[in-house]
Amino acid sequence: MHIPDGFIPLWQCAIYFLIAAPFVYLSLRWANKELDERKIPILGVLAASIFAIQAMNIPIPWGTSGHMVGAAMAAIILGSPFAGILLLTLVLVVQAFMFGDGGITALGANILNMGVICSFVGFYGFKALGSIPVKRLKEGYNALSFNSFVAAWASLFIASIICAVELWLAGTFPLAEGLLFMGLYHFVIGVIAEGVITSVAVVAVVRYREDLFAFASNYLPRRVTA
Amino acid sequence: MNRNARLILVGLILAVIIASLAPFLASSNPDGLESAAEGFHEAEGKEASYYEAPMPDYVFPGMGSEGAAGVVAIVSGTILLLVLGLGVLVIVRKQGDGPIFPREG
Repeated sequence: MHIPDGFIPLWQCAIYFLIAAPFVYLSLRWANKELDERKIPILGVLAASIFAIQAMNIPIPWGTSGHMVGAAMAAIILGSPFAGILLLTLVLVVQAFMFGDGGITALGANILNMGVICSFVGFYGFKALGSIPVKRLKEGYNALSFNSFVAAWASLFIASIICAVELWLAGTFPLAEGLLFMGLYHFVIGVIAEGVITSVAVVAVVRYREDLFAFASNYLPRRVTA
Repeated sequence: MNRNARLILVGLILAVIIASLAPFLASSNPDGLESAAEGFHEAEGKEASYYEAPMPDYVFPGMGSEGAAGVVAIVSGTILLLVLGLGVLVIVRKQGDGPIFPREG
């Protein structure tokens, strides 16, 4: 979903930079307030992993492919949308400046779509699912895995819809067909790449380091320590 | 080894494995946005380049083998993000916090 240079007129690019900037600032404020020596290593590892997994395009039908974004994964594990925004900002800057993936002028729009929107949808989607008063959605690894899957899928799908609208406003995509194709492709990419990998990764991190998982007390039984 | 160092090591190994496999396993089909753009005449010829990246399209320049050039590019990006991520976080985190790698003993 990386928008290249040229797809969005410069004045609109400037608007997206202005919209994304306060969120990036708030993510730095979040890091300044919340990060301690326990959380920094997992965030560093997630930054590297998100970059690596984004290079792994998975084929989908219609001769298309797609990859995971990873913002929802970071937001769910660390328990804040700002974790996803901060990491995706770093990843997108490196991708644009080192690898030419995503335009320099479109960086604001890309941070807005894949950083801000994916993180907020992933985080609040996950929170909302966990608050539905159904036991199966509230407890245990199955609930954790299902809620992560759905929230991550929604994060990619909704970001792709907003991306289609931005490209329509830019005069690069027609509205109806843009929504249809962006929505269709990312519906499928969201299931295969974003949903499945987020679900597996969240469960793996929680099994390995339960103490890092912000929502541990919601999902996991309290350990009896004698 | 303390648990922070172990987490970084395990995470880095996993990320480097994914990064090394990516050039061989990743689909070369256009991604969702590129595929959509190919179908719209409005998008034709719009893509521009205002900047020359040092490793365009995840290929390290000047290497004979395409696979190896991809591995070098993606693995170096992965390591760069680990170092950059940890560096930025250590700078912006709250002050007066304990060390990430406390001396054992």
